[in-house]
Amino acid sequence: MAPLSTAWAIFQGLLLEALPFLLLGVAISALARWLLPQTGWIRLLPRQPLLAPVVGALMGFALPACECGNVPIARRLIASGAPLGTGFGFLFAAPVLNPIVIASTWAAFPDQPWLLIARPCGAFLIALALTFVLRPVPEHALLTDALLEERRLSQPLAQVGLLERRSGLLGASAIEAPLPAPAPARLAPADLLAHSSREFLDLLSLLVVGCAIAASVQTFLPRSWLLAVGEAPTLSILALMLMAVVISVCSSVDAFLALGFAAQVTPGALLAFLLLGPVVDLKLAGLFTVVLKPRAIAITAVAAAMVVLLMGQWVNGLLL
Amino acid sequence: MGQWAAAVRVLAAMLPSLLLALWGWLLLWSGWSGRLSLLLREAFHPLVSLAGALLLLLAVLWWLPLGRRRPPALRLRASGAVPWHWVLSAGAAAAVLAFPPAPSFSDLAATRPTALPDGPVLIFHLPPEQRSLTEWVRLLRSQPDPALHDGAPVRISGFVLERSGQPPQLARLLVRCCLADATPAGLDVAWPGGVAPAVNQWLEIDGTMTVKSVAGRQRPVVVPERITPIPRPERPLEP
Repeated sequence: MAPLSTAWAIFQGLLLEALPFLLLGVAISALARWLLPQTGWIRLLPRQPLLAPVVGALMGFALPACECGNVPIARRLIASGAPLGTGFGFLFAAPVLNPIVIASTWAAFPDQPWLLIARPCGAFLIALALTFVLRPVPEHALLTDALLEERRLSQPLAQVGLLERRSGLLGASAIEAPLPAPAPARLAPADLLAHSSREFLDLLSLLVVGCAIAASVQTFLPRSWLLAVGEAPTLSILALMLMAVVISVCSSVDAFLALGFAAQVTPGALLAFLLLGPVVDLKLAGLFTVVLKPRAIAITAVAAAMVVLLMGQWVNGLLL
Repeated sequence: MGQWAAAVRVLAAMLPSLLLALWGWLLLWSGWSGRLSLLLREAFHPLVSLAGALLLLLAVLWWLPLGRRRPPALRLRASGAVPWHWVLSAGAAAAVLAFPPAPSFSDLAATRPTALPDGPVLIFHLPPEQRSLTEWVRLLRSQPDPALHDGAPVRISGFVLERSGQPPQLARLLVRCCLADATPAGLDVAWPGGVAPAVNQWLEIDGTMTVKSVAGRQRPVVVPERITPIPRPERPLEP
């Protein structure tokens, strides 16, 4: 019973700690939706393959949220018709490229300035790499059906036909009720509240599942197994990557957690832990399902892991 | 049947508001009941309470006419279909309310690394008898020569931690965020008669810091003069 009680307590700790950040993310998403009508600034975002993810990544400085909170914001961006590159750049880089996370990394590692540069730069490069990996995949294979429909309603008819929008007589589904007409430039407060509440409750359910998985794995798979893999450069990177996936701590506080074992692992492994967790972890696996289809999530996870492994190896080669 | 269907439709229309209220109450109650002290670092407690208050406010707003529109609760397309994942989250909230956390600190610590995050430097200037267990551990790690503290008075509290292959220690858990990143800080104790109290038992120890040779190495060991069982403190986790 003791391990079960411990897993239950870890589940509650993870959930109660992450929930305010999720609410913050949904609030920022709602605020952005209300203050910035979709016909305005979204259309100004660059669609150039390199510039789009760069702008998306840098938007983390304006919309600071950890990985729990930035999923609803990224989803709102994509649903509003933003270039996919921008949405993905934000989704993958913003959990690290924001002032809160950079400040917490500095607070945890004031004596390791290289980390303060390597972490944001690494997150930026990972976001670029993932965006380029996902770029050849068509939207309908990447995005969830619900998000795709929302996105098509926001795109001009020059890009998306009535059939694809499924909003006109031609494209209307025979089974589901007709979708509402495209949203007005600015939502009424009541509509905004209803939509944001549903979005919060949807994401909350996924967060509950993710926290349950993370707590179970963390309790029943001893962390010492991960750390006992050895101090070998490559193995330590892989061990810390696995740990980042398993423990699923928010990017706003994961630097403090890394501090706990920084002395025992190689610098490359430390960086790998700080880079992979905000992009791939068990808690996020549930949250990502509101944006990406399972195959796209799998591609993202594998590509992110490979890039992080390479970066870790490179850092170990430089510093060891 | 018609009445039941109507009742289900009304419930479905009210569900988002009820769920927001449930989660809001859960967060607020977790703060009031002191449960957070067992789960999160203290710095996060106000954030959780604030989130709870905001969720309750949102639940109330569902029933108010916002602007010139009808309130969201009355404009829901009440088809009677309740999303299953909302029911799951309601079940989780109810379970969290019903079953408080009761972690085994010893189990939790057994699988954790022992490297400690840095603490405030000022603690090293405290008189020995005013240092907490965590402050002692940090001090001994920063000044590895245990002979420097030989004979110093000690007054510490913690739980009994037993890890495989190691003698039982008196320990505290340190958290940077929540229980998920808890790290143990433990001190060796020369238990009277060589037998430690039950694992997870909270104790207060008055004694002396001494140096003993363990496996050929000089190690700091607390020699107790008085051991008092105590209840688990209200704030068992330390930053």
